[in-house]
Amino acid sequence: MKSQSLISSLNPANEPDSLDSFERAEIDASTKLPVLLFFGSAIFWLLVGSVLGLVSAWKMTHPGLLDGEAWLTFGRLRPAHLNTVIYGWASAAGIGVGIWLTARLCRVVLMHSKLLIAAAIFWNLGVFVGILGILAGDSRSIEWLEFPGYATPILFVSYAFIGIWTIIMFRYRRPGHVYVSQWYLFAAFLWFPWLYATANILLTWQPIQGSAQAAVNWWFAHNVLGLWFAPIGLASAYYMIPKVIGRPVHSYYLSILGFWSLALFYSWNGMHHLIGGPFPAWMVSASVVASIMMFIPVVTVAINHHMTMRGHFGALKWSPTLRFTVFGAMTYTLVSLQGSSMAIPSWNTFIHFTDHTIGHAHLGLYGFFTMIMFGAIYYIVPRLVGWEWPSANMIRWHFWLSAVGISIMVIALTIGGILQGFAFYDPTVSFRSSLDYATPFRIVRGLSGFLLLGGHIVFAVLFTQMVLRIGQIKEGPALFAKPSESQKEGVAV
Amino acid sequence: MNRLPLIFLGVFLTFASSWVGLVAYPYLTLGQMQPLPDEDTGGYFPPSMPGLAVAGQSVYASSGCVYCHSQQVRLAPLSTDIQKGLGPRQTVARDYLRAQPAFLGTMRTGPDLSNIGVRQPDANWHHQHLYEPKTVTDWSVMPSFRFLYKMQKIEGQPSDDAVKGLRGPHAPPPGYEVVPTDDATALVAYLLSLKRNFPLPESPEPKLE
Amino acid sequence: MTAGILLLVSGLVFLSGSALLAFYWAVRDGQFNNLSESAKTIFDADEPVGTPTDRFPSNTRP
Repeated sequence: MKSQSLISSLNPANEPDSLDSFERAEIDASTKLPVLLFFGSAIFWLLVGSVLGLVSAWKMTHPGLLDGEAWLTFGRLRPAHLNTVIYGWASAAGIGVGIWLTARLCRVVLMHSKLLIAAAIFWNLGVFVGILGILAGDSRSIEWLEFPGYATPILFVSYAFIGIWTIIMFRYRRPGHVYVSQWYLFAAFLWFPWLYATANILLTWQPIQGSAQAAVNWWFAHNVLGLWFAPIGLASAYYMIPKVIGRPVHSYYLSILGFWSLALFYSWNGMHHLIGGPFPAWMVSASVVASIMMFIPVVTVAINHHMTMRGHFGALKWSPTLRFTVFGAMTYTLVSLQGSSMAIPSWNTFIHFTDHTIGHAHLGLYGFFTMIMFGAIYYIVPRLVGWEWPSANMIRWHFWLSAVGISIMVIALTIGGILQGFAFYDPTVSFRSSLDYATPFRIVRGLSGFLLLGGHIVFAVLFTQMVLRIGQIKEGPALFAKPSESQKEGVAV
Repeated sequence: MNRLPLIFLGVFLTFASSWVGLVAYPYLTLGQMQPLPDEDTGGYFPPSMPGLAVAGQSVYASSGCVYCHSQQVRLAPLSTDIQKGLGPRQTVARDYLRAQPAFLGTMRTGPDLSNIGVRQPDANWHHQHLYEPKTVTDWSVMPSFRFLYKMQKIEGQPSDDAVKGLRGPHAPPPGYEVVPTDDATALVAYLLSLKRNFPLPESPEPKLE
Repeated sequence: MTAGILLLVSGLVFLSGSALLAFYWAVRDGQFNNLSESAKTIFDADEPVGTPTDRFPSNTRP
């Protein structure tokens, strides 16, 4: 592939010239280093974040656990967990998937990989510095934006590199249709720097007064979900589901409609985190309305995925990617409908300030986004290293540990949160009683954390084996052979 | 299919409008809010915070108190906050004017702190509680913040600011005392300043049945 | 404070403007013309419609 300088790629005068056709394998191979860098980093942070989460969870029911040291106090471990899994695991995995998918959908070999490698280095540096800063006591205590001011510019530089790269790839893509996944990715990679810059400027560099901060805080945090994570997750699902089963999306028109209605309604949702709080009523009402209007894009996606999968659910037996992706896609529907219901004021009354919200957050970021990322990584990595995953059983272990783990966690926190909320509301019930309702469910949550950590360790081992080429020797690329009929029937679940 | 372009156009404008509604508008209105003058004392509502309390905000942020404690009193009938004694009235935007940042919080693992300075006006109670919460409230799940304190040998007379009445496994042995660090002193000053019981015209005290 | 507002408003104008441009381009380029064919662009001669492209790795040694 011809190499050219970054400046000439950005120069508007330089028209893309040739229509070199590239083999899909060549395109995949060109993405190898940046994508594996992001995946490897992401999986490392996943392990770190899982441990931080596990310890934080147990500290809630056993406050004497590892107490007495400032850097281990719950008030620091909990935001360290949050930021590690959001920025260290989820965002990095999303970027890795986005890079690979962008190259595939542009149908050209990856350009300027050095830009992406620099982005990966800056990313990890920013996350590392940020987490150490939180543990050292420099957390800003603004949810989802706890990283101290000396870490956020490092991340911003990385985001900027990725945004620039996306524009260049789009510019030099093979002409033709822009697939819906690419719209989602393009938008995510361009929306996010705007969100991040606005929030950081208004909360740290030029801070605004009082409760206006909370409005900006939750505008940011909720938009990170709906305009960064959700588009990347949906981009992956819209590509993987049809690609794995070999069938185009059921209604492409619906998928486009779903994309834009997501953009329309999602960004107004933020204020539903603050119902009853010190804000003008119209702001909160607008958020409640928008939260309910989310039914439209969410049901659109659900119908589309279901109709695409209809008649092919048997494929879940023989495709790891499909298993993780469909779990994630179904969870997207569930968590979005749950979110809409949580925004209704008369219900919000009971669940605000409870564990119910925590369950919802994990359902979305783990049940939806993380599971889809797992599915995508299982599809992508063999095509980068030219090597099959060494053990089908380990993949199954990973899936079931994650699926069962997150289900237990969410069910426990959801029920516990509701009981807690009813106790909060009842004027005859003491605060102590509300704690007594929540505690047994928090213990169950703590146990589920071990399942999740187990699944992640299995995943990390598999990934390491792939990258280092350890494992069973195969005669040929078995992955690319068609599954025989007997294999499709007899595979253990 | 012809209507598609129009739909997309509408969508773009509305996305941008969320920025206007949820960011620019609060910035320009709530962000410009001023304290109200108190005619009786010549001061302001909310009252200005003593310097130590302002420093205490940083300790509150650094220790992550906001992840278990909210600071919001909501109105009936959507909540029973006022009935349960969290405060005499709903907290409104003006109450957080001097907060940097505004620790509204989203979890009540522990009680709401909007008016903790009214409910617990004694500094020594706060020091005891922060040092070893379980010795003050035996069912508490709050972790110990004894790393904000120093254990030291008593030189002659006990220090004026030594924490009194400490019990439990980390209580000072005879001849020793526990003294708050600057961080602990600042944090307690901040907690004592948390009082949203002054009158504000935009948040009248509701009559309770 | 005014520097902050200036920065944000110019950012808003830039991003909304570029989004509108992108949308205008998409209509001009015919991106919305044939949606059912568009759905098939992720398939080709190598991995055509009807061919699954993923499976669990084989457990048996060759």
